[in-house]
Amino acid sequence: MSKVQLTIDGKSVEAESGQTILEVAQATSVDIPILCHHPALSEWGACRMCLVQVEGMRGLQTACTCPVTDGMKVSTETEEIANIRKFILELLFSERNHYCMYCQMSGDCELQDLAYRYGLDHWTYPRPFERMEIDASRKYFIMDHNRCILCTRCIRACSEVAANHTLNLRERGADSMIMADLNVPFGESTCIECGTCLQVCPTGALIDARSAYGGREKDVEHTQTTCMQCSVGCQLDVVTRYSRLLRVDGVWDAAPSNGLLCVDGRFKPLYDKRQRVTQPLVRKDNKLVETSWEEALKVVAGKLKDSKPQGLALAGTTNEALAAFVKLFEKAGGEAGRLEPLAPELDYGEPAQLKDILESDYIIVAGAAPLEYQRVVGYFIKRMADKGVPVALIGETVEGLQTQATLVLSYEEAGKAAEAAMSAKHPVIVYSVGLKAAAIEALKSLGDKARILALDPAHNSNGAQNAGLKPMAVNGADTLYFLLGEQSEDEALVAQLNGQFTIVQASYKSPLVERADVVLPTPLWYEREGHITNVEGQTLPLNAVLPMPASVRDDAEVLKVLKELI
Amino acid sequence: MIRARVLISGDPLSLSRGAEKTKLAIEAEISYYGLEDEIQVSYLTHADRTDILPIVMIYPEGVTYGPVTPEDGAYIVQEHLYKGRVIEHLFAPPEVLTGDIAHIPGRKGATYAQKRIVLRRAGVINPLDIEDYITHDGYFALAKALEEMQPEEVLETVKASKLQGRGGAGFPTGLKWSFVVQQPGEKYVVCNADESEPGTFKDRLILEGDPHALLEAMALAGYAIGAHEGWIYIRGEYALAKERLNKAIQQAKELNLLGDHILGSDFSFDIHVHAGAGAYICGEETALLESLEGKRGIPRIRPPYPTVAGFRGKPTVVNNVETLANIPPIIQNGADWFRSMGTERSPGTKVYTMLGDVNITGLVETPMGTTLREIINIYGGGMKDGKAFKCAQTGGASGSIIPPELLDVPMDFASMAESGAALGSGALLIAGEDTCIVDLAYVLLRFFKAESCGKCTPCRIGTAQMLEALERLRMGYGTQVDLDRLEEIAHYTKEASFCGLGQAAPVPIITGLRYFREEFEAHTRGECPTGVCPCSVKQKVKH
Ligand SMILES: Cc1cc2nc3c(=O)[nH]c(=O)nc-3n(C[C@H](O)[C@H](O)[C@H](O)COP(=O)(O)O)c2cc1C
Ligand code: SF4
Ligand code: SF4
Ligand code: SF4
Ligand code: SF4
Repeated sequence: MSKVQLTIDGKSVEAESGQTILEVAQATSVDIPILCHHPALSEWGACRMCLVQVEGMRGLQTACTCPVTDGMKVSTETEEIANIRKFILELLFSERNHYCMYCQMSGDCELQDLAYRYGLDHWTYPRPFERMEIDASRKYFIMDHNRCILCTRCIRACSEVAANHTLNLRERGADSMIMADLNVPFGESTCIECGTCLQVCPTGALIDARSAYGGREKDVEHTQTTCMQCSVGCQLDVVTRYSRLLRVDGVWDAAPSNGLLCVDGRFKPLYDKRQRVTQPLVRKDNKLVETSWEEALKVVAGKLKDSKPQGLALAGTTNEALAAFVKLFEKAGGEAGRLEPLAPELDYGEPAQLKDILESDYIIVAGAAPLEYQRVVGYFIKRMADKGVPVALIGETVEGLQTQATLVLSYEEAGKAAEAAMSAKHPVIVYSVGLKAAAIEALKSLGDKARILALDPAHNSNGAQNAGLKPMAVNGADTLYFLLGEQSEDEALVAQLNGQFTIVQASYKSPLVERADVVLPTPLWYEREGHITNVEGQTLPLNAVLPMPASVRDDAEVLKVLKELI
Repeated sequence: MIRARVLISGDPLSLSRGAEKTKLAIEAEISYYGLEDEIQVSYLTHADRTDILPIVMIYPEGVTYGPVTPEDGAYIVQEHLYKGRVIEHLFAPPEVLTGDIAHIPGRKGATYAQKRIVLRRAGVINPLDIEDYITHDGYFALAKALEEMQPEEVLETVKASKLQGRGGAGFPTGLKWSFVVQQPGEKYVVCNADESEPGTFKDRLILEGDPHALLEAMALAGYAIGAHEGWIYIRGEYALAKERLNKAIQQAKELNLLGDHILGSDFSFDIHVHAGAGAYICGEETALLESLEGKRGIPRIRPPYPTVAGFRGKPTVVNNVETLANIPPIIQNGADWFRSMGTERSPGTKVYTMLGDVNITGLVETPMGTTLREIINIYGGGMKDGKAFKCAQTGGASGSIIPPELLDVPMDFASMAESGAALGSGALLIAGEDTCIVDLAYVLLRFFKAESCGKCTPCRIGTAQMLEALERLRMGYGTQVDLDRLEEIAHYTKEASFCGLGQAAPVPIITGLRYFREEFEAHTRGECPTGVCPCSVKQKVKH
């Protein structure tokens, strides 16, 4: 990349060749208005808001697409340009219904902001618009075509970021409309409700069902934290108002997923209907009754001291809690382990980050179902498949990627994938617990050039691994201590219990909680402080978005207190 | 031994007027007289006037009859072919006997010969017969290039010929090719045969009448730029042309004029035909490429231009049918020969499709630089019913309105542009004094509103708003406010649109206002000077 020198509105600036005028302007605080441009998406160049004048070039140029060159002279706000922008806004306001006072986006709308900026205080063009349908067939968000400006950000987000290709345009010209698949209701379409389209929509056309009318940007608070719904650890921007969760957005400039979330991270936790445990409980007269923390901890400490305990964790809590769990059992003299199985370790390859998938030229998915369990990894793989990168699937458990796959193989045939990937420069192997020894051996020939991403089922598998927790089943201990956090235990687990004294540290009511002798409530994902270590091995922070109820205590703290008590 | 040949026009218009029945009648009559072995009957594409179809031509005499009913056909066999007597009263009117179409001594000179390069074989040969094409100099240029010329020489010849693209923009063809040659890797030749500009049907007649000429030209282009595959993107409605192209490709492959190692050389070239699905925007080259790749037909961001990243992201030459049809004669006869025709800046000929208020509508090929006045008076046979000329629109729907003052501008790309007009695709709409300019603009804008792809804001909504304003003026509800608004929208839509469609859609309004402002203003008072618009009807009712 060579440097170029140009002037923008008379100011001399230095830039990298290959940058667009818009990028350079933004870096130098020149505010060129945009509507269809979005930094996470490919350029579209169609709203025409960012037209600028470049000396010596015929006609006006779209700043979002025009690369800078040395000696270029750019004017971003001539009278003609301001008139054109006003004209474009007038057209957009005449096309469909933009009576802002009824719109949930009013105040936060990019179109409305620009209308203020260019002084649109009334409509001048006739508004022959027809009333259009509103599609509320999807659970989490609504499409109101009346507010849509056809910027196609949603289409590009769906195709390029989520790699799901649900959205497109139908008809043409003034009849153009956003549609799902071949024009079916959104709720009946191939949409996977990742919400990426919702997040990029500049207007009130895509409406979040939960946060609509719940507060404008100036009223709300934002907290960044890490998603705890799977082991990927996407960064979340959690929006709250009056101590209420409004909405979750992705964070564009934060690894591992750079803005992309899945339905499990963005929507589902806000609609969690499970009943929460909010008070410590102890079993008295064969009934669980509320008690104080002092009493509950005394009972637990007594049991840990006086009997042979075993600790079993679902690795869905913080590194701090998992470490304290291990320490507690070291002191109590019992075994501690994790309940989820562990993906086999490979003695070759380099550990991969998610971004390595985006730079790969061959992808092998072995014994893993990322589209189901670590969805964002699945979307990353689909993105690459769209670009023509070959994807080989190995093993029977693989689901959902078949349409993208160039090879579908059994474990015995794994050698074929290794062979096909041999000439690749940056092959990536994504695997999980299902991976069989024969395949491990067969893929070894890819050697150290392969990047390896192990997708453990445990949400904080690497945290558990670092703490020293190994997969373990119920042994013959008298006292069982389950650390569940927010997760639900395996149903088969309850059936294995057999008269042992059972302690459960959990957030939600569940069969195991019902069966327990002592229950210690833990905070929810948005109340937690601490860290997790994601699939890439990166340690990511959890920040409390809202305070936890006074009767709930952080599991790490509780475990530390227990250690002192025994 | 064939002693005579009967050609019956087989273009869609002729077929719709019963050409097939006429052909059957002629064939039946020939077999009645037992002349099957002596007389060959076939279709040809009639490449000329549309008012005398279907026509029947008989060679070697070169007599043209038209229009010919099935009964006439049987009578022609009896009288002309069996008894040897020419039937005077069935002759096509003399105007049709122009240029290379028919060589009847005594009739020549009574008409004005056109200069035909592109259309020289259309209507003369049987388009379904490759041998016929070859006997008319066909594939000579390709053979010459493969045997005697290096690819660079072919490119240099095209450059030196100064041939400009006939698809509308007049971009120098040789220059375009040289951009592609500079690029590394695989390359493609794409022929733009989408021809959806209203009033333009020149490409169709080349495709229907001389399909091999296009194939030969594409192979030459492929040879020059180093491509091995070509695609013809043909307008979906051109079923006959598509059929003939496919047939021609098959024939050319059989004779190794396409395919691997053409004529034993190292050069291999294959051609595919892809039909569009009825979108004007797919004639715009980047939308065409999107459509060819199976995507929604919408224009791409440029740069990169197709010459750098075109079909499947590879460097691609996109050329119009007429542009390509000029290539074989240029290679065969040399750049100097080509430059001896037309004007200094725009050599060669141009094919026009003339419509509207002239006596003879149809196809004309004349040297570049012929004036509109000449075309109307000589080839169009003057204005219809003695009407006065009001204006013309050149270049199809998106062309400019030409007032009487510009009738004597030489029609070539540069001169037209200098006088504030555009040559465009070659459609010539000639409007007489009884045409209302507001009504004309309204009809054109209806087309653009329907054909806008909807990608960009100004064109998608601007065309709808301009149509709305024109509708108000036409109906007599319009005021000065509507007219001002119309002018404003037209100006900004032209300035701000993404592609040529939106940039050109306001041109009829802008140029119409430039020359006929009073007429627009009259409509703001509810008056339509020509009495065409609905507002004039209302006015009459009012009085
Ligand atoms: C809206 C629009 C429609 C067009 N339609 C056609 C067409 O039907 N045929 C054509 O040859 N060129 C058409 N063009 C021009 C092409 O984009 C392109 O310039 C041309 O194919 C280049 O070929 P040439 O250099 O041989 O003229 C159109 C352009 C625009 C903007
Ligand atoms: S989408 Fe924006 S401009 Fe349209 S009504 Fe809503 S707030 Fe107003
Ligand atoms: S929610 Fe995701 S999958 Fe569904 S349409 Fe939006 S981007 Fe596409
Ligand atoms: S729904 Fe939103 S993002 Fe999609 S085109 Fe309409 S305005 Fe743009
Ligand atoms: S100018 Fe019209 S046809 Fe061209 S991109 Fe814009 S909307 Fe589509």
